[in-house]
Amino acid sequence: MKEMWKGNHAIAEGALRGGLQFYSGYPITPQTEVMEFLSFRMPELGRHFVQAENEIAAINMVFGASATGLRSMTGSSGPGISLKQEGISYLSYNDLPAVIVNVQRWGAALGTLDSSQTDYLRDTRGGGHGDYRIIVWAPNSIQETVDLLYEAFEKAEEYRNPVEIYSEAALGQMMEPCEMPEFKERGYDLEWSWDGTDRDHERVDMDQKPIHHTAKFKKIIENEQRWESINTEDAEYVFVALGLPSRVARDAVKRLRSDGEKVGLIRPIAIWPYPKKAFEELPEGIRGFLSIETTDMGQHVEDVALAVKKGFKTNIPVYVHATNQKMPKVKEVIEVYRQLKAGNLKEAF
Amino acid sequence: MAVARKIPKIMEEPTAFCAGCGHGILNRLIAEVLEEKGQEKNHILILGVGCNCNMNFTWGGDKLQCAHGRATSVARGAKTGRPDTLIISYQGDGDAYVIGLSDTINTAYVNTNVTTFAVNNTNYAMTGGQMSWTTIPGQHTTTSASGRDCESTGNPIKVPEIIAQNFDVAYVARGSLHSAKEINKTKKYVRNAIEAQLNGEGFSLVEVLAQCPTNWKVSTVDANEWLKDKVVPIYPLGEFKKREGRDDK
Amino acid sequence: MINELVFSGFGGQGVLTAGLIFSEMALKEGKEVSWMPAYGPTMRGGKANSVVKFGDEALGSPNMEEIDVLVAMNQPSMEYAEFMKKEGKVFLNSDMIPDDTDIRNDVEVIRIPCVSLAQQIKNLKGANLVMVGAVIKKCAFFEKNFAIETLKDYFKEKGKGNYNEANEAAFLAGFDAIK
Ligand SMILES: Cc1ncc(C[n+]2csc(CCOP(=O)(O)OP(=O)(O)O)c2C)c(N)n1
Ligand code: SF4
Ligand SMILES: [Mg+2]
Repeated sequence: MKEMWKGNHAIAEGALRGGLQFYSGYPITPQTEVMEFLSFRMPELGRHFVQAENEIAAINMVFGASATGLRSMTGSSGPGISLKQEGISYLSYNDLPAVIVNVQRWGAALGTLDSSQTDYLRDTRGGGHGDYRIIVWAPNSIQETVDLLYEAFEKAEEYRNPVEIYSEAALGQMMEPCEMPEFKERGYDLEWSWDGTDRDHERVDMDQKPIHHTAKFKKIIENEQRWESINTEDAEYVFVALGLPSRVARDAVKRLRSDGEKVGLIRPIAIWPYPKKAFEELPEGIRGFLSIETTDMGQHVEDVALAVKKGFKTNIPVYVHATNQKMPKVKEVIEVYRQLKAGNLKEAF
Repeated sequence: MAVARKIPKIMEEPTAFCAGCGHGILNRLIAEVLEEKGQEKNHILILGVGCNCNMNFTWGGDKLQCAHGRATSVARGAKTGRPDTLIISYQGDGDAYVIGLSDTINTAYVNTNVTTFAVNNTNYAMTGGQMSWTTIPGQHTTTSASGRDCESTGNPIKVPEIIAQNFDVAYVARGSLHSAKEINKTKKYVRNAIEAQLNGEGFSLVEVLAQCPTNWKVSTVDANEWLKDKVVPIYPLGEFKKREGRDDK
Repeated sequence: MINELVFSGFGGQGVLTAGLIFSEMALKEGKEVSWMPAYGPTMRGGKANSVVKFGDEALGSPNMEEIDVLVAMNQPSMEYAEFMKKEGKVFLNSDMIPDDTDIRNDVEVIRIPCVSLAQQIKNLKGANLVMVGAVIKKCAFFEKNFAIETLKDYFKEKGKGNYNEANEAAFLAGFDAIK
């Protein structure tokens, strides 16, 4: 039965349904509700909730809990996710699964509490030190948030690598009907996990690490691209947007289509690995791409450009409509499109 | 009658520390106690970042290398995952008391049932001998070239005292490795700490004053003297906290 | 067809709750629905609002875009009138918004003295529900009894079931205020 769920609570419950056993975090708006919800739900279910003294401790507790075989998660926003980066790098390097939730707020430093996507480049490039990546999923509805969290632990375990849920302040606050899946557990031992007996942790030697990790990430790139394409079959212009702005873009596509405009939408669901395959499927004759995002200078547009330049022989212009801490409006996107078509917009790439 | 002790299985691989290094002695003490307690196959050593990183290649039991300063937080997570396994963090003074001071204090504060061994060699040894919060007044390091000036850099930090006096933990002690007698005492502290965890009493911390001849720039023999004469007077030895009714034979 | 409703007022005037009650009605009828509260800086100065969208097709933007129905509980809420569709309906709290307030002339204005009406039935907190009743009658989004049952279920779920009689009365006061 569908019930109204608030995004942040849905993150928590979705993770629990997916088998979450250990959570550690530190309060920060707009992620705090995830943590508050878990603080009473986890003891209820006999699972482990820890309010950490800071985000660094939290991610490192996750490191220990994950190594010893618990399905583990931490979450934060803005400055808190910055503090976790060293730990995330350690998780990936040590081939440890974990789920990290970033309920994004706008800006550098303390920023504001506005909804945004300003962590795009950091999060899709690993974030911490070293040449690693984490799988990053950007839901655009409450149901999808739950479905992705439900799957996240298995994906993290399959590749022995962290998975991030890339949410946004507004997505955490809104409510939508949602069907919660049944509770599931892993139900078997991860044979490589640390149990004190010094068994084989199935790790490769230091000198093999670069080869091993490159192979791991290549496999993820090959198998884990995810996206949704709308009206792209005969499109002349393609919007590219993820998360909440993608819903605005979808409305704009619908309106423009009804006016006879040949526009389409690519919505990356995985933002790492980036769905380059979505661009390979596009028809000939596309005249331009427009990234719609809640960043300041345009971040996602860089990935759009990379995908376009790789997927097409001709140099198709890539534009960006970056609305910083304000959610774009449908009318506004339509207007931007008209300006673009009239040649009044300067291309980003 | 003295009996030549056989090398604990956990230490079959020779350590990779410098000659005369305190880390080597402490490795041995911990290995012996773990064997005596039948815990060779039931412990995870959470390794801080410092010279002890060598143990990744030599320690014959389960171990997990973590980030600089975070071993006690990792230990908290690991203890949740494996409540019946001994979870021991092994850290240097820089790791446990400087960059990881918050993690150490907070783990003591919540009294998690894990054990921390903090090797105090009064410097950041692995990175070539910089000043640590434990560096003694006037000590020459690569970042206090004319001797530590406590006026501007603070006085030697005494974390065991801070924890013992303020938090409801299970066990806190400080030992030294400068003589056979002190080594034996230190071994007793190591055992008490491990027993405290086995009994589920809560957090235990043993600081071990240790030689670092390499960065102190003294001979291995002189390092013992240096430790006894210069370091021990600043850091009182003994047990600062233990649960009521525990016998310490 | 997607309906966009905005409930706006001061924090404490129940504009989030009013939106949630509508969301529940839409959900029960098997419709697609989204509820988006104002959050963060948009809430400065004690302003609050919630945007409810519902319809039979998948929903796109959950944000305030083109409002069909604006429920304005206080004067500052009137600034959202600029986002209204032509022919949209604005239900305004005439106890707090003076009659001479400038309002665009291409929308339908419905004045409800929701505070006085709530006072009359001794349920001052129910002013928002008076507005819910008025919207239901005027716009006929949902059937009357279904709306009342949903409203009661909503408060019961929240552990506030013992106010249900008073809440029903508030709803009816608004419902009957529309002739
Ligand atoms: C975040 C971070 N900062 C700095 C370092 C470099 N580093 C490695 S070991 C170390 C100091 C170790 O000193 P201590 O903990 O006293 O251990 P010792 O080597 O003296 O036994 C430092 C600063 C690091 N690895 N990580
Ligand atoms: S540098 Fe010092 S602490 Fe490190 S191994 Fe050598 S003697 Fe031991
Ligand atoms: Mg040191």
